[in-house]
Amino acid sequence: MTFSRDLAMRALDTARVRGATYADVRYVRREVEQMAVRNGHIDSVTGSEDVGFAVRALTDGAWGFAASQLLTLPEADRVAALAVEIAQASALVKRADVRLAAAPAPRATYRTPIEIDPFAVPLSERLDLLLRADTAMRAAAELRTTRSSAEISREEKVFASTDGAYVDQTLFETGCGIEAEAVGDSEMQRRSYPNSGARHQNTGGWEFVIKQDLVGNAPRIAQEARALLTAKPCPADVRMTVILSGNQAALQVHESCGHPIELDRALGSEAAYAGMSFLTPDRLGSFRYGSEQVNIQIDSLSPGGLGTFGYDDEGVPGSKGWAVREGLFVGYLMSRETAARLGLSSNGTMRADGWGRLPLIRMTNVSLMPGRWTLDHLIADTDDGIYMDTNRSWSIDDRRLNFQFGTEIAWEIKGGKKGEMLRNATYTGITPEFWGSCDAVCDDSDWVMWGTPNCGKGQPGQVAHTGHGAAAARFRNVRVGVVQ
Amino acid sequence: MAVSQQSAVLGETALRAATQKALAAAKGDEVEVLVLSRDLGLTRFANSEIHQNMRIASADIRVRVVRDKRVATVWTNRLDDDGIQRAARDASEKALVSPENPEWGGLPGVSSYPRVDAFDDETATTTPERRARLVGVICDPSFERKLRAAGYVSTTVTEVAVANSHGVWAYQPATIAEAQAVVLGEAGSGYGGRLDARIGAIDAEAVSREAIDKALRAQNPRELPAGDYEVVLEPYAVADIVEFLGEALTGLALEEGSSFVGGRFGERVTGEAVTMIDDPLDRHCLPQAFDFEGARSERVTLIERGAARAVVYDSQTAARNKARNTGHAYFSSEAYPYPLHLRLEAGTASREELIRGVKRGLLITRFWYTRWVHPLRTIVTGMTRDGVFAIENGEVAFPVRNFRFTQSYHEALGATIALEKDLLLQRIDRFTYGFDTGFCRVPAIRLGSFTFTGTTQY
Repeated sequence: MTFSRDLAMRALDTARVRGATYADVRYVRREVEQMAVRNGHIDSVTGSEDVGFAVRALTDGAWGFAASQLLTLPEADRVAALAVEIAQASALVKRADVRLAAAPAPRATYRTPIEIDPFAVPLSERLDLLLRADTAMRAAAELRTTRSSAEISREEKVFASTDGAYVDQTLFETGCGIEAEAVGDSEMQRRSYPNSGARHQNTGGWEFVIKQDLVGNAPRIAQEARALLTAKPCPADVRMTVILSGNQAALQVHESCGHPIELDRALGSEAAYAGMSFLTPDRLGSFRYGSEQVNIQIDSLSPGGLGTFGYDDEGVPGSKGWAVREGLFVGYLMSRETAARLGLSSNGTMRADGWGRLPLIRMTNVSLMPGRWTLDHLIADTDDGIYMDTNRSWSIDDRRLNFQFGTEIAWEIKGGKKGEMLRNATYTGITPEFWGSCDAVCDDSDWVMWGTPNCGKGQPGQVAHTGHGAAAARFRNVRVGVVQ
Repeated sequence: MAVSQQSAVLGETALRAATQKALAAAKGDEVEVLVLSRDLGLTRFANSEIHQNMRIASADIRVRVVRDKRVATVWTNRLDDDGIQRAARDASEKALVSPENPEWGGLPGVSSYPRVDAFDDETATTTPERRARLVGVICDPSFERKLRAAGYVSTTVTEVAVANSHGVWAYQPATIAEAQAVVLGEAGSGYGGRLDARIGAIDAEAVSREAIDKALRAQNPRELPAGDYEVVLEPYAVADIVEFLGEALTGLALEEGSSFVGGRFGERVTGEAVTMIDDPLDRHCLPQAFDFEGARSERVTLIERGAARAVVYDSQTAARNKARNTGHAYFSSEAYPYPLHLRLEAGTASREELIRGVKRGLLITRFWYTRWVHPLRTIVTGMTRDGVFAIENGEVAFPVRNFRFTQSYHEALGATIALEKDLLLQRIDRFTYGFDTGFCRVPAIRLGSFTFTGTTQY
């Protein structure tokens, strides 16, 4: 049961014969291995293989989509016919015909550059690393729960379309993380490393995990979790200067810039679930999103990002461009269909969560570009503020304006020096006001391509893996401390 | 027959054969095989037209092998002989390499299961044309009123099968039909949603009416300041509270010190009017007789008249904590029990009576993007969405801009004044990314105080 060029061509032919004016077929084989250690013991060792294909057909000016895990020629016929039949049903409730912006029809291959094939690293070696990190956490502090985990994946995907595209890609991802939880009287605190949400992840090989040095960072994380139980509460409901760590700035970019620049949202396609966007098309090129310090790039070419690939799931090549340039909103994430609505071309951002999901506009690597400060200089330049590190809680309204974030840990900044540790830190704001108050972004020395491997969108739900380069950044007059 | 009319039900015989092949191919002291099959037809609309329309058939098999307390799991969606055998062999080999887990508590033994009727032929064979016509019932009236409708109509067939080397065999097919709509005007939106095992029970006109009516009433909202308000929460918002509290009412949360009921069994944790039950056999709540490990799912009273009573367990959290397995295993690789058929017991009031009792307060339709701020204290933040209205002297007075709230959910229930007499079936949202599981039935509720900590611009 393997995929072949014949199967792809058969599906496209059948779709055309049944009446499709455009069709594409995607094959995906995804192999994932996950390992988790909890409280010194193996919590899970899980492998998975997921294989299938889908046909997307445009008929009578409307879309149909069908997917199957059976890789046979008769099934290619059936699925293509089904996609066309579904498209015909879609046309029953249609206001206008779908149009696609012109795009190249590449015949190409792409493979994630890796140094160490993660699947070639023995399972025992991977588990040993996680057990050592877990031991190091438990030795360093009294904790209720410790967790360490890693995930490796390889995704083989083929895209072919009636436009003549045929793209073959192999993408590798590797991720890992540790968590320490301490429980005291009416209080529970968690610290995570390198990022929260169980892991930090990149496209690449096992070299990424080695670089994170989980074991070396485990004692610090454990001690911080314990210390947070008795740390001072974050000040309540005050306005003050905030410096966000790079990983928290990355999530701030994800939620308050990455999502609102999705053109499908801005045009209402996601109104029922993920929501819409305050960055409406009439604001493109004229709306002041942030201060002049704020430069945010849309990029699927930089090595390592979870949004790095050769071609998107419409066969459009990866690209690099600007979403926000010196504070001005200048660019969307687009598909062929949405770009046509604005008279533009797709910048290659359509991605599906495996074979059985419809491609949607997803963030590639949406990154806050480096400024000119080192983190030490930025703290030294701050007389009175709070440094907040590693996300704990995140929420934003359905147009991406009102947000509230909490971080795992924070420190006072007094007289240019990092002071006492603070617990339960939160901050809240309105997106353009918040980015308008950004007066400094740190430089390359603090800039990391962070990974967000849990971005939800769509009905049925899809999880995308997105990249966000960011360094620490400073914001003035921020409302801090909703919860003590 | 049109291609779209072909049902993708695999059937008990085929799934039993597949699980037996995996059991035979695996090498271990204990072996478990789980099959999750789903055939989803989903017609999605936005801007009052269909923009995404799909049929996705998938089936996955999970083989879990235990060798001397060394445990490994392998999933595959290749259900041919080669795919099943390869997964069984792979799990067996991975288990051999894994270090021992001395806490391993063993797989469940044989149970008998009550008969559950959750399958509807009509739903299983619903065509995309029928779904499109139901969408039209929602979209066309919105379009005519210059409103924009967005949402979906879906029909799903699911099959769950569990077998293990102790002789467990469990199989259940089910169907789910659903319609959800957000209707938007220039300045305000409304929502309606219905869920049932039978497509024939989905009243698309009612969904359309509810969402359109609310959208029309929600136009041109006024801004009110953040602060503490008395509220009437519609069932869509209440579902979120029940969902979050459900996550804290598990053996795992208790074990990890993150549950608000830890050390408080028998004590008052909410208002006395609140009784919360997980009832897997509730025939109105898309019942399931067994959990994803094949253990018989038991009804558990979690909170009784405001007092903490119990939490739910799966095989591993039960073993680790010397508790009884209540049959609430989820299908994640890690032990993660969850109450998947939650019910907040009804009160005696009508919706109008709930509102009539409020002198100054807010009527809230839905919560949105809710996240834990502090799990142990059940503090959650989120936004309101799709209709907030001021209540003055027992009447819905005018639409209000959306709020951000930051509120301890169990403390909010501590101020429960009254509950509606009717319950609405809904999904538990946090499981929308996996298999179709996790449902609740809740009423509207009147709470004495709810803390809103911010406002937005619409």
